[in-house]
Amino acid sequence: MTSKLTYMGAIGLTALSSVAAAPALAAGTTAGTTITNTATVDYQVGGVAQGQQSASNNFTVDRKINLLVEEVADLTTTVVPGQANAVTTFQLTNISNETLDFALVATQIVGGTASHGGSDSFNVNNVRIYRDNISSGTIGSWDAGDTLITGYVDELVVDTAIRLFVVADIPAALANNSVAGVTLRATAREGGSIGTQGAAITETAGANTAGKDTVFADITAGVAGDAARDGSHSDNDDYTVQTATLAVTKTSRIISDPVNATSNPKLIPGAVIEYCIAVANSGSAAATSVVITDPVPGQLTFNAGSILLGGTVTSGTCDFNGATGGSYAAPNVSGTIASIAAGTASTLVFRATVN
Amino acid sequence: MRTGLFLLLAALMPGPALAANQVALDNHVFVERVSTDAEGKQRILLEEPKVVVPGDRLVFVLNYRNAGAQPADKFVVTNPMPAAVRFADAGDTRPFVSVDGGKQWGLLADLSVPMADGTRRAAQPADVTHIRWAFQTPIPVGGTGKLMFRGVVK
Repeated sequence: MTSKLTYMGAIGLTALSSVAAAPALAAGTTAGTTITNTATVDYQVGGVAQGQQSASNNFTVDRKINLLVEEVADLTTTVVPGQANAVTTFQLTNISNETLDFALVATQIVGGTASHGGSDSFNVNNVRIYRDNISSGTIGSWDAGDTLITGYVDELVVDTAIRLFVVADIPAALANNSVAGVTLRATAREGGSIGTQGAAITETAGANTAGKDTVFADITAGVAGDAARDGSHSDNDDYTVQTATLAVTKTSRIISDPVNATSNPKLIPGAVIEYCIAVANSGSAAATSVVITDPVPGQLTFNAGSILLGGTVTSGTCDFNGATGGSYAAPNVSGTIASIAAGTASTLVFRATVN
Repeated sequence: MRTGLFLLLAALMPGPALAANQVALDNHVFVERVSTDAEGKQRILLEEPKVVVPGDRLVFVLNYRNAGAQPADKFVVTNPMPAAVRFADAGDTRPFVSVDGGKQWGLLADLSVPMADGTRRAAQPADVTHIRWAFQTPIPVGGTGKLMFRGVVK
């Protein structure tokens, strides 16, 4: 049979009517849909049109279970020790071809390298999962109007992504750059019953059936502990502590004595000594409202009005400068420095006379 | 042997032949699975469509046969695309296709699709709504043949 095909249609002679676009189906045809293909034949015998012939076949689209859990923004969440409600953000997408429930579990990583560098070194407290409320409040960010998840997401329709927040409290007294990793894992469950978590889903094993079978299509495994094609997916995120780390050093110099004046003064009674208390912040966050208190020894007399605040340190050496401020309430000299930025130092300077 | 019975009747009838079921057509669908063996060779298997999920490649095969006693002329096979299947290609069978629900026909490369802004773009395989094979020469008595096209489950 070598019949040649010929041109039959008329192209472009009449205005083409616009074609209704088919809906985009990223996750695909709904499970259980029957696809019927029908071909028809028109032909003539002896120049007379004959009855049209047709032939059909059909098959059922099976259920493809696929989902994606992704951390949003791929950044660690910076926290300070003692912070309540620290938020990491994830996104869950149902790319199955059926509406499903998804069981959610947030677990803490213990040890090992965290996903944004550093090693997991502590665990957070009071881990909760929230679903973003997309009709009120701050959409895309955690707020009080978001829904606390109790174990599962109900009836997530096909091709839908939702934002999930893992919210936890950070313990107090943590060192700068401490890291706590968390894993969010979602597992597909049967959909269909609103308000209750559906049963676990198993892949159709063994021989295929003519009806709707189930295929786990999550061919990319999530993070550690998650296998490919298991109907579940996961991702990691972490909290990194960014705090101020303060170190205090105290230095002094002799300004003058009653005999030598300012030329090579010695520590004799009546000599004036200048003290410098330097506070250096080697952490990653600014320290604010830093209060410095220093009791003046009983052998010295504080020189009124000599306190300088907010001075600088050059190469580890106090510059004995700053702005007048602070206060003296015997025996304590004190002053408050509003803010010491990460990686910088600030000073309190005062003078006293040897009794 | 219903076909045979009709043929007999057709032969007995005088005048223009109106032979029902003179042409036999059957329609099969297979799932195309590509597996790669240890040596990196790809093997393509055609399976019965038992497990079919979105994204699977399907091969539709149409077999025709002129079971009549006379040549079948103006032989046209038309296959609308099932709604849940996206057309991929038709091998080397070079069918005419329609991208507007069967109003206009042509080779895919010659067709275009209107855009929302009034301009037109070249038609893509995914735009195909119907496929049609039209034969230039009559199918002789007993002549058989096979047509195929590929699609992807949406």
